[in-house]
Amino acid sequence: MSCNSAVASFVNGQAVPGLRAEAGTEVMSYRDALHWTMRDALQRHDSVVIMGQGVDDHKGIFGSTTGLAKEFGTDRVMDTPLAEEGMTGVAIGAALNGLYPIQTHIRADFSLLAMNQIINLAAKYKYMFGGRFDVPMLIRLIVGRSWGQGAQHSQSLQSLFAHIPGLQVVMPSSSQTILDTYPAVIDRYRGPVISLEHRLMYDLEFYVYPISIKQEIDPFGSRLVRQGEAITIVATSIMVLEALRAAEHLARLADIQCEVIDLHCVSGPDWDLVMRSVEKTGRLVVADTSWREYGVCAEVCRIVAERNPGCLKTPVVTLGMQPAPCPTAKCLEDLFYPDLRQLVDVLATAVTGKQGHGVPLPDTQSMADVYKRFKGPF
Amino acid sequence: MDYSQKFCDLFFQALRIRLVEERIIELYPSDGIQSPVHLSIGQEAVAVGVCRDLRKTDLVFCTYRSHAFYLAKGGSLAEMFAELYGKITGCARGKAGSMHLAAPDVGMMGASAVVASTIPHAVGAALAAKRLGHDQVVVGVFGDGATEEGVYHESLNFAVLHRLPVVFLCENNGLAVHSPQKARQGYDILDHARAYGLPVYHIAEGYDLVKVADTMSDIIQRVRSTREPVFVEIRTYRYKEHVGPGEDFVSGYRSKEEWLDWKQQDPLEQQVALIKTIRPAILKEIDEAIYFAMSSPFPPVEELLRDVV
Ligand SMILES: Cc1ncc(C[n+]2csc(CCOP(=O)(O)OP(=O)(O)O)c2C)c(N)n1
Ligand SMILES: [Mg+2]
Repeated sequence: MSCNSAVASFVNGQAVPGLRAEAGTEVMSYRDALHWTMRDALQRHDSVVIMGQGVDDHKGIFGSTTGLAKEFGTDRVMDTPLAEEGMTGVAIGAALNGLYPIQTHIRADFSLLAMNQIINLAAKYKYMFGGRFDVPMLIRLIVGRSWGQGAQHSQSLQSLFAHIPGLQVVMPSSSQTILDTYPAVIDRYRGPVISLEHRLMYDLEFYVYPISIKQEIDPFGSRLVRQGEAITIVATSIMVLEALRAAEHLARLADIQCEVIDLHCVSGPDWDLVMRSVEKTGRLVVADTSWREYGVCAEVCRIVAERNPGCLKTPVVTLGMQPAPCPTAKCLEDLFYPDLRQLVDVLATAVTGKQGHGVPLPDTQSMADVYKRFKGPF
Repeated sequence: MDYSQKFCDLFFQALRIRLVEERIIELYPSDGIQSPVHLSIGQEAVAVGVCRDLRKTDLVFCTYRSHAFYLAKGGSLAEMFAELYGKITGCARGKAGSMHLAAPDVGMMGASAVVASTIPHAVGAALAAKRLGHDQVVVGVFGDGATEEGVYHESLNFAVLHRLPVVFLCENNGLAVHSPQKARQGYDILDHARAYGLPVYHIAEGYDLVKVADTMSDIIQRVRSTREPVFVEIRTYRYKEHVGPGEDFVSGYRSKEEWLDWKQQDPLEQQVALIKTIRPAILKEIDEAIYFAMSSPFPPVEELLRDVV
């Protein structure tokens, strides 16, 4: 497999436990990891059905389900009517009667039509009936970004879901996190799980452990993906990759060592891991894929403020989308999302305590330029 | 009057539900039951007739108005009262109240307080039955108002498309809260359902225990053998206010005459002699259930965060 050079710069030669490069000698794209877990689930569990709009077509949810309908039949890899609420309800009913449904939404935005079933029903079934029912199901939401996705094809809705008790919400940031999470969830967890996959990562290649190496990893754990002393970066999804790029830049040019935590399970992160790190470094930057207001950024700040605000040597800095719907013009979209340059700048400022920190900043490059393989249109 | 064994069995079941709910009305002012109650008084024959030929393994998905279905499907009366009283021995450990009764061991798959929201669950359960090769029949129960929700349409389409063994059961009491059907619907429920291409049935005499049971028996047998969906509308009448223990004929949105006419047909109003003979045994069972509920403990603090994920 060929490696995109920009991507290779942060997967290549880095000891990143999340990416597990130390033992991860094989290369696998995010898309292929998704496809592998989907096929594996269908193969190992008769109860698994994949249902979503277009799961059986030639595009196969951006390649993550391609060919599976042919291999397993269209009654297991099932195209659905355009009925997000109804189909989520159907999945819940199926889960209550012995199936394990995997649902797909090619954009997270479309799941908003299913909110009633997800929040009022799936999230409540276990508790509201005193533990007498389980609703084991996986809902895969794909977050879009760049190439003019615009206001309704780009929302990263993790905080909406993570706000609701009863839902587990994960945001895989690499091929390995997919391989660690999906099979474990499907095998062992009996409740509803929402996974927010990032469209821009589908084409990226990561080092992974050989599939044959089975490891017991908590699918709902957070991951320490880089060790450092100077500052803690808590990140989600594709922002984990940005954090690693920034960390590498600062290590190379300014000898600043950043610690990076991939929150991964935003509904129940490993707060002890976060606190240990912040207590060690005394500095915190939170980088999330969504709006900062009332979201992951706000939640991380709540935890630090409640548990040990005194450990902070400098104010927390949060990075996320600008407080507006997503624009389509590239010049505006580039301002809408935080970029690598901004991330390096806030990190250097926080560590040195100076605006004029003198650390050279990387060229301004939008994520779409960096992850060149995403050429749209969707 | 038909005093066949079948009638007597059905009558017993229906009277039991009526007396349970009448007892809830009596108890309500004492404030021990701290939960909104949507009573089925007047509608008992629907639940009893529908459930008569269902097996324990057949599944029923219900609404907030489901005391009748819970009991008709075989849910424990003692656990129901304990649930109403918020006790740990309740069918949902005191977390459901009146609106979310469930008894999965007998196929009562829960009730939701969000209108129409369990209709697709019935369809999904039927999908699982088909895929896993079970001979189950699944029933989705909903009111006339629920047919106005989009998810009802989505559910009908999917069930017909995939030919799933599900009964869409519309319990039509002509009202959604205080709004009459004609103020809400520009379509005819039966014509609309028929347009999806599934067999539709209408039972106008929703008070007639034997008629409902016999018709439903045929329908359930049909679904069990054909494995295809059907739609059934049963006309019925709600005697009490939408939610709560009272009557509300004075409020003017419906006429008392309607009610009096309906009661003329209702065996639970008319069969006075029969009621007299079976009532004592049922009251004894109710007393025991209430004793169980009242003497059970409230949930301990650990329950607050149990069963969240
Ligand atoms: C989605 C939703 N909208 C509104 C309500 C408020 N509400 C509760 S019951 C009800 C009437 C439903 O009527 P119908 O479906 O005919 O059932 P019935 O109460 O007559 O048994 C309404 C509007 C609700 N619970 N859920
Ligand atoms: Mg009604």
